[in-house]
Amino acid sequence: MNFIEIKDVVKRYSGHTALDGVTISVPKGCIYGLLGPNGAGKTSLIRIINRITRQDSGEVLLDGRPIVDDDVTRIGYLPEERGLYKKMKVLDQIVYLARLKGMPKSIAVAEARSWLKRFDLEQWADKKLEALSKGMQQKVQFIATVIHRPQLLIFDEPFSGFDPVNAEQLKQEILALRDGGATILFSTHNMESVEAVCEQITLINQSRVVLQGSVDEIRHAYKKNIIAVSLEGGQALPANDDLYAILPAKSDNKRETLIKLNSGVGVRSAVSWLNDNCNLTGFHEVLPSMHEIFIETVNLTKQQPQ
Amino acid sequence: MNKLKLIVAREYMSMVKSKSFVLTTLLMPLLILVCGGVPALIGYLNDAGSDVETVAVIDETGKYAQAIHDTDLYRFVALRGDTATNAREFYDKSGGDITAVVVIPQTVDSIPVVNVYSESTINANLKETINTALSDTITRAHVASYGIDGLQQIIDNSRVKVDVRSVKWSSDGESETSTEMAMVLGMMLSLFTYMFVLMNGAMIMNGVVEEKTNRIVEVIVSSCKPFQLMMGKIVGIGLVGLTQLAVWTVLLMVMGSIMGVVFGVDPSATAMTGNQAAQMAAGVDDDVMMEVMKSIYSINYIPIICCFVLYFIGGYVLYAALFAAFGSAVDQASDAGQFTTPVIFVMIIALYAGIACVGNPNGPMAVACSMIPFTAPVVMMVRLPFEVAWWEILISLVLLYASAAGIVWIASRIYRTGILLYGKKHTIKDVIKWIKG
Repeated sequence: MNFIEIKDVVKRYSGHTALDGVTISVPKGCIYGLLGPNGAGKTSLIRIINRITRQDSGEVLLDGRPIVDDDVTRIGYLPEERGLYKKMKVLDQIVYLARLKGMPKSIAVAEARSWLKRFDLEQWADKKLEALSKGMQQKVQFIATVIHRPQLLIFDEPFSGFDPVNAEQLKQEILALRDGGATILFSTHNMESVEAVCEQITLINQSRVVLQGSVDEIRHAYKKNIIAVSLEGGQALPANDDLYAILPAKSDNKRETLIKLNSGVGVRSAVSWLNDNCNLTGFHEVLPSMHEIFIETVNLTKQQPQ
Repeated sequence: MNKLKLIVAREYMSMVKSKSFVLTTLLMPLLILVCGGVPALIGYLNDAGSDVETVAVIDETGKYAQAIHDTDLYRFVALRGDTATNAREFYDKSGGDITAVVVIPQTVDSIPVVNVYSESTINANLKETINTALSDTITRAHVASYGIDGLQQIIDNSRVKVDVRSVKWSSDGESETSTEMAMVLGMMLSLFTYMFVLMNGAMIMNGVVEEKTNRIVEVIVSSCKPFQLMMGKIVGIGLVGLTQLAVWTVLLMVMGSIMGVVFGVDPSATAMTGNQAAQMAAGVDDDVMMEVMKSIYSINYIPIICCFVLYFIGGYVLYAALFAAFGSAVDQASDAGQFTTPVIFVMIIALYAGIACVGNPNGPMAVACSMIPFTAPVVMMVRLPFEVAWWEILISLVLLYASAAGIVWIASRIYRTGILLYGKKHTIKDVIKWIKG
């Protein structure tokens, strides 16, 4: 069951096309990555889902039916450019935004307090936002995004501005929201966090979808037959031009040597040859990181314009 | 609707609670009081601080000394039998107890000159007191010297001051009106509308720019329509302005009456300029006072106030929507000049047209400007006290509200595009594109 379905959406601004026939299906309860370089059209798409702007053509379905204005109460949106009222008190601010999303006042106040407590911000509830550190402001913004228990959450670069400890806490909160049944659309440039939390992704470049699917499948599809081999006692790997090429050593891992299998060579034959000729202590297949796939795909579409 | 209420409430509360609002709201009446009240206060302190001074009067005629009566500031002591020649001697002998010596010479009936001797310059107030007292008495003495019975009575009766009153024919018979009062009222309403629109327009523009630079606007419009946010701001800040006015009115009245009690100053005088206040304090003729009161009552207030409220709201919304649109099109308030300059220019034209219309409230320019929606709220305010035909008001109001609705529509289209576009300076050309798009 897809919670949100974007069908062939086109958005044109005067002078350029921001989205050109984009189709995306996000299953319910999934953390879905929306990737793409700057200016690819991610923000345009997010604004369409948020009912901030309208598509020129195509359809957006939420929970199986066309999205309407009132559906915004079911959506929580954390924009990349964070923004809150600097002169407004923290609690008032969260309650105001919750009420705009249709939450009754008394419930909003109680929820806001419990969230502030969870993020160790209770003592800041009656302070003006400008008195808080940047990290604390980010937490307040996060609370304001999720307080009305939206079924769809849209996070645009949620981890930017967080230190590793807080980023981890945030990640756990996001996973908890997913476990609570929310569907999460996750727009980011941080490919490590994509591998860590996203189940599926869509990569948009130059207004079009260029890559789509589950993270695992994509990484396998992009694999380059690279194997990391470790030998006993730091022994040097013998060359074998018939089977593989030795790749330059990575500075951060001296124990493993990366080899790229020649085309047509199976992992088994290479490993059995290595096992016969040196003291093999371990080997594993290296999958390309999302980072590499991202750069490769984007560069590829750049070289071959529509 | 519910969201609009929330936005209005937030705009209102955040403004009303802000330090700058509290300060301007409390300090403005003080400033007005200081400007208006200081001359009256100075006058009061001047009089209150000084002791009563003694002035000796040497009356060589022996007839006029008692005509000079004591005042709050001066006590006059008549010295009988002395002559001008020993005035100096007498002055020196007093050892400073006497401020001055007035000498009324024998010849005063034929040559009306009186000398006041002193070591320092004689104060204007003293001169005035002596002048008034002696002129009147000596004039009466001259009249009496003709020996004609009842001549004084005849002269008094034949003194004429022409009183010009304007009388208006209306359905309920003749009634007196006063053009001066109507003019003052019209100008006050007009200036008031002008100030209110400019001040609150600027507040709206800054608010929009702030939300845009804060980037909170993206969060808000993911919860409500940009139109609701814009209207919420316009209504909320309008209410803030009205609150401020209400507080000012109450504070001014309270402060005025406190001043009146403490310093014995007529509260209505404190709001006027020093000159006017002095005239008031000097005691305006009862007749004039009656005249003013009569004309204040003669103006028909209910239609004027109703029209004022309608023009005020229409004019405010018209300009407020424009300012909101300008705010959305720029990244910082200082960039808004290219948009606000023409509007402020129009407003200044409206104000000058309004001032010019006072002289000829039913002239062609007054009529035209009271029809043009951008000038009508200011100009019609000036014309209103002069009884404008109902159909003129109706046409003008319909035009005003139709254009206000149109401007709100256009502004909302500019606004919803502008608030989401950052980092680029937009020209009027771009903005026109947004309206179409």
